[in-house]
Amino acid sequence: MTTSIAGIGQTEFSVRSGRSELQLAIEAIKAAVADAGIDIDEIDGLVRYTWDNTTEAAILNALGLPRLTYYGETEFGGVNCCGAIAQACAAIEAGLASCIVFYRALNARSGTRYGRGDRILSEENGQLVNRQMEPPGDVYSAPFGLLVPGQHHALYARAYLDHYGLSDDQCAEMLGSIAVTQRAYANANPRALLRERELTMEQYLAGRIISEPLRLYDYCLETDGAMAIVITSKEKAKSLRSRTVDVLAAQQYVHPGSVPMFLYAEDTHRLVPPEAGEILFRRAGVSAQEIDVAMFYDATSIMVPMALEDFGFVERGGAHDFLTSGGNGPGGRLPINTHGGLLSEGYFHGLNSIAEAVRQLRGESPNQVDCETAFMTLRGASSMILGRA
Amino acid sequence: MNIVRPADELLDQPFWRHLAAGQLHLNACEACGAFRHPPGPCCPKCRHIGEHWAPVSGRATLQSYTTVRHPVHDRLTSAVPYVVTLVRLAEGPRMISGIPPGEHYDLKVGLELECKVISYDARFALPFFVPVAQVQP
Repeated sequence: MTTSIAGIGQTEFSVRSGRSELQLAIEAIKAAVADAGIDIDEIDGLVRYTWDNTTEAAILNALGLPRLTYYGETEFGGVNCCGAIAQACAAIEAGLASCIVFYRALNARSGTRYGRGDRILSEENGQLVNRQMEPPGDVYSAPFGLLVPGQHHALYARAYLDHYGLSDDQCAEMLGSIAVTQRAYANANPRALLRERELTMEQYLAGRIISEPLRLYDYCLETDGAMAIVITSKEKAKSLRSRTVDVLAAQQYVHPGSVPMFLYAEDTHRLVPPEAGEILFRRAGVSAQEIDVAMFYDATSIMVPMALEDFGFVERGGAHDFLTSGGNGPGGRLPINTHGGLLSEGYFHGLNSIAEAVRQLRGESPNQVDCETAFMTLRGASSMILGRA
Repeated sequence: MNIVRPADELLDQPFWRHLAAGQLHLNACEACGAFRHPPGPCCPKCRHIGEHWAPVSGRATLQSYTTVRHPVHDRLTSAVPYVVTLVRLAEGPRMISGIPPGEHYDLKVGLELECKVISYDARFALPFFVPVAQVQP
């Protein structure tokens, strides 16, 4: 592609921001623009998730931007963390805008919590009632108690374990190694919500079961805050004083049953057909073996082994051995989620993982890897490859 | 006690009306006969627009399952632990189901299941699935 990520900006990660989502979004956008070294008046495009409560109109008016010549949404949330980037890149390549900001603002701990069923349930006549038409928590699954994404992930995990004949103990070894490795990354990351809390394998194993086979430490953090990412043409990026990163390829790939919550798709032990990776790597002009560092959207830890296999970073069924031997850790074959991931840094709905990929390629990560290329995906539904400019 | 109830206005829909009458019916294509779930106006196999509702065999295989131990709503504190299942019906579609409250089975992916409709009141019943060889009265 002919586009670049020119800047990243964020608020702090917290559990109680004490301010509105609109204010958080504005703070993140101003920080991202400053990071890019552009004038705020140069923003002429905005992209966001449909799940974001803060509209483009609210941003436009609050910031007093001179004009927007492009704005658009991608459906859902984290499913489109790379899809929104792809959309911004396409708009820039089509000439619709020259400087687009992708933002996400959420009070997901002090406000509406994605880990709670309250947002899709009401209480009527002493009963919990549901009228939700789409997963998670749709009317065909909610009566059985399938209410939140973290419970869906437990279903992926069980299907995956069974497909490869892994025992619950082997599952704990594999997922525990992810949680512990990522926590150590977060301990070195001054931004991380859990920077001061260490996690040992013993503590992981002692964590209470949330939805079998997943434990407390397999889950991401409900977080308040906001993040913004500035996308421009590669040509414009070259003129900026900031260290920019090239978008080598960014794409969406969904198939029947895969969205919104991968409930009714054909296979559950894998989350995307091999074709998605083939297309992405071909577009980027690199192979999986040439990727130096990866960010896998880890709403739960099970997303890590599945992404490793779905994109051919390891053989099918090979994730357990890769992860338990430290392949994702410092000095490993493919360091993964070096910011701590959504499990331990915080949850800006995937944007913070994109930001970590950018930091790695700029040489600014707290857990720096010697890298030329970085990979990011949410279970293949959207993916991208970034390269050092 | 069930966990969550569909809103009353939804219980007028065919899926729930057939269950209330005691049997699982699914939305099917009126041209090719393929079943689909959740219901929709178009057949994803032949793309014909037009639907009817037909009974299914009630046979299914277990695709995945989880025991939910953490209640995600204050009113669910006494409902945990409960088992949620992902099943594939003999007719093709997948659906979310569960193990009836109070019943306990050794579950394994691939297990053969059959439907057990449990009625809560005149308008509301749920299609649970239990292992074929282990149906409890």
